[in-house]
Amino acid sequence: MGFVKHLVKRAVFLALTLVFAIYISVVIANGGGYIDKILRDQIELEVRQQLAADPTWGDLNATERAALLNQRISGRVEARGLNRPFIERSFIYTIDALTLRLGRSQVLTANDGSHAVGDIIAERLPRTLVLFTVANALGALLGIWMGLWMARKALSYFDRVATVVSITTTVVPPWVFGIFFVLVFAYGLGWFPPGGWIGLPAPPEGGLAWYLDVGWHMMLPMIAFIVATFGSWSYTTRNLVLQIMDEDFVSAARARGLPERTVLTKYVLRTASPPIVTSLALTLIVAWQGAIITETVFNYQGIGQLFFDAITIFDAPVVIGLTAIYAYLLVVTVFVLDVIYSFLDPRVRALRR
Amino acid sequence: MKSGIVGFGILASLIAASVVIPIYAPYDVVRQWSSVEYWLENPRWAAPEWVTIFTGKNEPRTTVFDPSSFRYVIVRDTIVDQNGREVNLTFITATRRFLWTYDNFPSEISLYIKAFFPGNTSTEPGSSPLVSISLRRPDNQTVQLLGRAVPGPEFNRTTTYHLSSSTGAAESVFGNIRKWVTQEGVLPSDVVAEADILPHVALFARNDTAQLNPARSAHLLQGQYELRIEYVGFSLNDTLEPRARLYGTVFGLMGTDERRRDLLTGVLWGAPIAMAFGSAAAIVVVLSQTILGALSGWYRGPVDEAIQRFADLYLIIPVLPILIIIALLYRPSIVAILFVVVAFGIVGSTTKVVRSIVLQIREEQFIEAAQSYGASRIRILFRYILPRVMPYTFALVALNVPIYIFLEASLSFLGLGDPTLPTWGSIIGQAYTGSALTYGFWWWVAFPTLGIVYTAVGFALVGYAFDKVINPRLREE
Repeated sequence: MGFVKHLVKRAVFLALTLVFAIYISVVIANGGGYIDKILRDQIELEVRQQLAADPTWGDLNATERAALLNQRISGRVEARGLNRPFIERSFIYTIDALTLRLGRSQVLTANDGSHAVGDIIAERLPRTLVLFTVANALGALLGIWMGLWMARKALSYFDRVATVVSITTTVVPPWVFGIFFVLVFAYGLGWFPPGGWIGLPAPPEGGLAWYLDVGWHMMLPMIAFIVATFGSWSYTTRNLVLQIMDEDFVSAARARGLPERTVLTKYVLRTASPPIVTSLALTLIVAWQGAIITETVFNYQGIGQLFFDAITIFDAPVVIGLTAIYAYLLVVTVFVLDVIYSFLDPRVRALRR
Repeated sequence: MKSGIVGFGILASLIAASVVIPIYAPYDVVRQWSSVEYWLENPRWAAPEWVTIFTGKNEPRTTVFDPSSFRYVIVRDTIVDQNGREVNLTFITATRRFLWTYDNFPSEISLYIKAFFPGNTSTEPGSSPLVSISLRRPDNQTVQLLGRAVPGPEFNRTTTYHLSSSTGAAESVFGNIRKWVTQEGVLPSDVVAEADILPHVALFARNDTAQLNPARSAHLLQGQYELRIEYVGFSLNDTLEPRARLYGTVFGLMGTDERRRDLLTGVLWGAPIAMAFGSAAAIVVVLSQTILGALSGWYRGPVDEAIQRFADLYLIIPVLPILIIIALLYRPSIVAILFVVVAFGIVGSTTKVVRSIVLQIREEQFIEAAQSYGASRIRILFRYILPRVMPYTFALVALNVPIYIFLEASLSFLGLGDPTLPTWGSIIGQAYTGSALTYGFWWWVAFPTLGIVYTAVGFALVGYAFDKVINPRLREE
């Protein structure tokens, strides 16, 4: 039971974090009065549309129209609680964002022309998830593999060079590599498309060709991302493994004559995996947020680039909706990794018995 | 330790650069960064000058013809017209010969004509001074660029004919060039659309079918050109000050951007700005996280719990989106951005690292000794524990600097940074929105990016060197 209790505790904490993150975003965005203004504008638009569709509307004169309009608007405003003090309103907005009632965008639309922020985000979210999940997984695998190799050849020439390469590539974010890659591999050598997520204006029809085209567009951002992230994996893994290799239980395993490979995978990596998962959480948090710029550099139409578009044309509902989605994304990521962690860490696993 | 020395070398060079920059480009220049007028004399989208070494092409530099470089023939006379009225006349012919031996077309042409015609208010029709501008080419063709009356309001003022844009005073130039091309050239008139004409190409191109093509395919005509300005004024005191500028295609060490700004100035000034921002943010954040981590590990109990939960929470908050919202809505200056960034970093991963170190230190004997002579808890924390933890934080500061440099660069890249300062991120961002990569203006992107990478690598190597000194496990034997 202790195990479940641990996870429930984490879930409650993460839920509170989510509420807190969205609440600060709401407070910040409303400091400038933006949410208020947007909501009022939207209500006015809706009311106008409704009244215009009403056949009696045409019979009214200007003052009657204005009066009716104001009456309807203030009715709606009251119904949504917009005339209450800010403290109360901030909770209303927070609950709206938490329940993903994200409202309507001002300019941006989904491909089918929908103005619902939820639709716009839903259309792009999978692209971001696929790109960064795959890139993260590949970067982690490459980094861990390299870290193991470095630890085995510790202090050799290879290890030293690899360590410096790891450290220097880690500090540089993926979008900076992206700029160089686009410059060299897309415009210079022409090996990859310089941007986009699919060949436009005529994306290939049919299953396989479509997937290949999407994959080909994903290559360059993915490579940039892997180059920027593998270093933190290899450096962390190397140091962890070297640290664990000194432990008595590893010497004992070796003394029993177990092959080096078994020692490395069953004893060393096993012990190293919980801290690796912890650092995976941090890497993913940075990666999701970095998507805003990485995707912009590659003109990859995921939620990151959507964020950038929304900023440039000042489509505030989309910006705020995306912040809510980001908060969800981070919290869900951390929770999933918490679950994995609790399976890997013997101390947490012990609670299960 | 070699990498550490390289890292220190990089940082030293950056500090040296920060000292030298005010000599190359004083702060006044940076204040003009977002102004348009200040940079007007530079070519647009010019590549760095040294690329000519690699391409082997003699790319044009910006050539300026001052009023003093023209040859003048001035005739002033009073004649009597058929109505018996006395008319004062001044004829000025200003010519400027020049040899175009460069291997490329100029990137733009501007003419500045300043006419001074006293005693004439141009209220009488037909009494405005007349100016006509023409260009004689090496193939002995003469192109009439402009022939117009100078209206009264232009009295004693410089009129700019920016030949490369079809709007403004130079509008009729396009029509004139078109007329010349269809008359003298080999192109039939229906091929020649006015909108396609690039005067700086057409005027310097050979008379063939490619003449009106963009710079890449038209054939350059090298040799002796003569710019000729003829002026007729209706008084005896008229003066003329002609000036011309043929913009080059290369400029300085790092070229120029869309707004003709010298990128060397921007990239050099980016260094102190990035270093100041990154160091200030990293030092404050790491210090605050260290103290809170030490408090957490030393006091334990509810303080510990509160700080650790707070740190967990801060680690998961979507900082970048929130920062973007702040930057978008409030347009903060770079100092305000710094405060916000620090506010989102008062607790974090360092808090956790320091806490675990303090948990080890608190069991040591010198702490026990301090307690036994009656030192207060707060005294032990600041006199005994924090000094022991501090060395770890050096490495963390160095490793955190690039994070904040890139954070600022990210905001600037999105166009949300301080608009008045040339930061690396903002230059890269403007290059992106200006489609620099599509058009191949690589210098506009490459140099600020290299600057940022260079700085980040410097700090990373120094941080790694500190880390090795402090963490004996990582030390090379």
